[in-house]
Amino acid sequence: MKTARFRQGLIASWSGFLLLILLWQFISSVLITESSLFPGPVQVMRSTMQNLALTRLLQHLGISLQRIGLGFVIGTALGITFGVICGWYRTLGSVLRTPIELVRPVPPLAWIPLAIIWLGLGESSKVFIIFLGAFFPVFTNTYKGMTTIEPNIIRSAQMLGLKGGRLLLRVVVPATLPDIATGIRLGWSYSFGCMVAAELIAAQSGLGYLIMHARELGITAIIVFGIVLIGVTNLITDYLIQELILKRRLRWHFLGTEQA
Amino acid sequence: MRRSADRARRGKRKGPTDLQIKLVTLVGLLVLWESLSRLGYISPLSLPRPTRLASTLWDLSVYGFPTDITVWLHIRATMSRIIQGYLLATAVAIPLGLIIGRSYLLERGTNPIITFARSVATISLLPLAIAWFGVSELSRVLLIMYGAFWAILTNTIQGARSVDINFINVGRMFGAKRSRIFFRVILPATLPRIFAGLKIALGISFMVIIGVEMIGTVEGLGALIQQARFFYKSDMAIDGTIFIGVLGLILSVLLDRVERLALPWAVGLEEVKR
Repeated sequence: MKTARFRQGLIASWSGFLLLILLWQFISSVLITESSLFPGPVQVMRSTMQNLALTRLLQHLGISLQRIGLGFVIGTALGITFGVICGWYRTLGSVLRTPIELVRPVPPLAWIPLAIIWLGLGESSKVFIIFLGAFFPVFTNTYKGMTTIEPNIIRSAQMLGLKGGRLLLRVVVPATLPDIATGIRLGWSYSFGCMVAAELIAAQSGLGYLIMHARELGITAIIVFGIVLIGVTNLITDYLIQELILKRRLRWHFLGTEQA
Repeated sequence: MRRSADRARRGKRKGPTDLQIKLVTLVGLLVLWESLSRLGYISPLSLPRPTRLASTLWDLSVYGFPTDITVWLHIRATMSRIIQGYLLATAVAIPLGLIIGRSYLLERGTNPIITFARSVATISLLPLAIAWFGVSELSRVLLIMYGAFWAILTNTIQGARSVDINFINVGRMFGAKRSRIFFRVILPATLPRIFAGLKIALGISFMVIIGVEMIGTVEGLGALIQQARFFYKSDMAIDGTIFIGVLGLILSVLLDRVERLALPWAVGLEEVKR
C-alpha cells in the first residue's frame, strides 16, 4: 500500500515536471507570436548553442564558482570562529557581538556600493559580498548552538574532569555541529544569491554578468538559459553540501531526527 | 537567550550585564573611529567620521540625494514596492499552498517544480523581467513577488501537510463538514508555518528590492546608495546603508508583533526550515 502510494507520487513528480516543460513549449510556440521574447525550451537550447561557445560558458561558470567558493569558505571559517568565541567567552562575546549585531540587519546586497568604494571593482569586492552572505547565518547559528547546549552535557563532561580547551573542543563544539550545519546550508544559499546579484550589478564575468550582458545584446534565449543554469548549479551544490558533507559528517545527528 | 553553556560552566553570572558591555563597546568604537579619522589614520573619503555621517543624515532628510529626493521619498518608494509584491505573493501563495499541501499527489507533482523554482536566484530573473516589461515598477514588484512567493508557498505546503490527523478526525467525529474542517481546523493548524514563511519572505523581499533598485532607477534606498557610489559620496552611501538596516530591523520587529497577536498559542515556535 505504502509502496504503491510512493510509486504514484514518483509518477506525479515526473509528470509534473514534464508537463511544465511541455506547457512552456506550447505557450511559446502556439500562444506567443514573438518567440524571440518568450523562447521555448527547444529555442533556448538552439539559440544558446549558436550564440555562446561552450568554452566561454565554462569560463563564466568557473569564475562564479571560484568567487563563491572563496567568499563562502572565508565567511564560514570566520563565522564559526567568531560564533565559538562569542559563545565561550561571555564578556569578549558581548564586545564582539556589538558591531556584528549592528551590521547584521543590513542585507548583504546593500553593501555592494560600499564594497566598491572600499575595495574597487575587482574580485575582492565580489568576494566580500559573498563573504557577508555566508558569515552572518553561520555566525548566528553557531552562536545560538553554543549558547543553547543542554547544560547536563557540559556538567557530565565537567564531572569527568574535562575543562578548558578540551571541554570546548571535545564536547561543546561537537554538540554545536548540527546548528553549524544549519548555518552552513543557509549561508550557502545566501552567498549564492549574493554572487548572482554582485555579478549582475558590478562584474565583467561570471554567470550573473552572462545574463545581464545577454539582455544588452537582446538575446532572451541566453538569459533564460543562464537563469536555468544558475538554478541547476544552486540545486546541485546545495545537494552536494547537504548530502555529501553535512549528512556524512553528522550521521549521528541526522539519524536521530529522521527516525523521530 | 539563556546562556546555558556559560552558566553550567561558571555558575552564577557576575560582573557587568550584557547590555552594559555593549553600550560601552558601542561608544568606544565610535570614539575610536572619530579620533582615528581626525588623526588622519582613516581616509575621510572612503570612511567618513561619525560626526560627518550625522550631518549628512540631516542633508539627506532635508535636501535629499539625488537633489530633491529626500531619504523619506526613497523609503516610501522602497516600501511601496515591497508591500505590493509581498501582498501579491501572500494572496496567491497561501491558498495555493493549502490546496497543494492537502493533496498527496498534487504535492508530489508540484514538488520538482517548486524545488527548482526556489533554487533560481530571484535576482537572476531581473534581466528577463527587464526584457519583458522594461525597466519599470512592474518588473520590480514582480521580482519581489517571485522571491516572497516560494518561501510562503513551501512553508504553507509543509504546514498543511503536517496537520495532526487527530485534529481532523476529531472534527469529523463531531460531524463537521469538509469546508468547516478546512477553515476551522486545517487553516489555524497551518498558521504557525505560514507565519514562518511570511517572515522568511519578508527578509527575501527586502534583499531582492535593494538589489533590484540598484539597476535602472533613482528612487528607492537601493538606488540611493548606488547613486552615492557613482558620485563617490561614501557618507551618503553609508547613511543609506544604515537606513536600510534600520528599516529591515523595524519590519522584522513589526512582523514579530503581528505574529504574537495573531497566534498567541504558537509563541516560541522556532523550528523553521526553508
